[in-house]
Amino acid sequence: MKGFEAFVGVNFLTMLAAWLNLLILFLLLKKFLFKPIKNMIDSRQKEIDDMYEDAEKSKSEASDIKSEYEKKLENANIESEEILKNAMRRAKLREEDILRDANEKAARTMERAYEQVELEKKRAINEVKDEVATMAIGIASAVIERDVDETEHKALIDTFIENMGDGND
Amino acid sequence: MDISVNGPGIYFSFDLPLLGTINVTQTFISLFVVTIGLVILALVVNKRIKKRPGGLQVIAEKLVTMLYNLVEDTMGKHNSRFAPYIGTLFLSSIFGTLIGMTQIFRSTTADLSVTAAWALVTTGMVWYHNIKNFGFKSWLKGFTEPIVVMTPMNIVSEIATPVSMAFRHFGNVAGGSVLTALIYGALALLSDFVLGWIPQAILAYIPKIFQIGIPAILSIYFDLFSGFVQALVFSLLTMVYVGAACPPPEELKK
Repeated sequence: MKGFEAFVGVNFLTMLAAWLNLLILFLLLKKFLFKPIKNMIDSRQKEIDDMYEDAEKSKSEASDIKSEYEKKLENANIESEEILKNAMRRAKLREEDILRDANEKAARTMERAYEQVELEKKRAINEVKDEVATMAIGIASAVIERDVDETEHKALIDTFIENMGDGND
Repeated sequence: MDISVNGPGIYFSFDLPLLGTINVTQTFISLFVVTIGLVILALVVNKRIKKRPGGLQVIAEKLVTMLYNLVEDTMGKHNSRFAPYIGTLFLSSIFGTLIGMTQIFRSTTADLSVTAAWALVTTGMVWYHNIKNFGFKSWLKGFTEPIVVMTPMNIVSEIATPVSMAFRHFGNVAGGSVLTALIYGALALLSDFVLGWIPQAILAYIPKIFQIGIPAILSIYFDLFSGFVQALVFSLLTMVYVGAACPPPEELKK
C-alpha cells in the first residue's frame, strides 16, 4: 500500500469507475443473464399454457362427441322400440284380419255345406217320393189289374205322401 | 496494540495529462473483480440455458423469477423492464459487500464514492422519468407543492434522498468493518489478559485464542446479513423512487 484515501470521502475517479462497472455489468447481465432466462421462463410458460389449452380443447371435443354419440344411441334405442312396437301392432292387426277372414270363410263354408245338405235332402226326398209314387202306382195297378192313368193318380198319391211326410217331419 | 481504520488503500498511482494523478485503489480492484466474476457467472449460466433446466439453471430461474416478481410488486407490471437494472444493482451491491469477507479485497460498498455513484444513478433515473412522463414544467412545479413555502424543504429532501441512500449503505458496511476491527483488537487484548501467566517468549507462538470463532459469528451478521439487507434496501428504495416517477400508462393519460 502506498497510502490510504479518506475513510469518508468521495473521489470522482472512483465514482466514474463505479458507474462504468455498473453500466458494463448492467449491459452484460441483461444480455447474458436476465433476458435469456426471462425469455426461457416465458416461452416455457407459454408452451405449458398452450399444452394445457390443447388438452382442454381435446377434452371438451371428446366430451362433445361422447354426448353426441350417447344422444344418437338413445335415439336409436327409441327408434328401434318404435319400430318394434309398430311391427307388433301391425302383426296383431294382421293376425286379427286373418282370424276374422278365416272365421268368415269357415262360416261361409259351413253355410254352403248346410245348404248343400238341405238341397240333397230335398232332392232325396223328392226322389223317394217319385219312387214311392211309381211303386204305389205299380202296386195299385197290379192290385186292380188294369192300367191306372198315371198322370191322374200321381197327384193323388203325391198328396198322400206329402201328408205322410208331413207327419214324419 | 494498534487499531487502524483506513479508507481504501492505494496500490499505485500514476499521472495522466489533463486528469492529474490517478490513484488505483482497492475499490477499483474490487469493482473490477466483482464485475468479472458476475460476468463469468452470467456466461456460465447462459451457456447452459436449456428448455429442460439443469440444477444451476433452476436456481438462476428461481432468482430471476423472484427478481421480476419483486420489481412488478413494487413498481407495477408496466415497469418490469427495470428488473435487469435492479438485479444488476442488487448483485453489484451484495457481491461488493461480500467480497470484503475474503480479506483479500476491500468491500466496494465500504467506499462512499461507490454508493454515492449508485445513488446518483437512482436520482438521475427518477429525474429523467419524471421529466419524460410529466414534463419539465410540472416536474419543477412539483417542488412548490403542496404550498410555495415548502419549496426549500422540497429541494433539500430531493438532495437528501441520494445522500441518505449513499450514506446508509456506506455506513452500514464501513461501520461493520470498523466494528469488526475494534472487536478483533478487544479480543486480542482479552487473550493476552487471560493467558498473561504464560511467559512472553512462549505466548508469542500461541494464537490469540479468543480471536478464533467469535469474529466469524459477527461476520455472519455484519457482512452476510447486513450486506444482504443493505443491498435489498438500496434496490427497494431505487424501485420505489423510480416506480413513483413511472406511474401506470392509464394513469398518465388522465
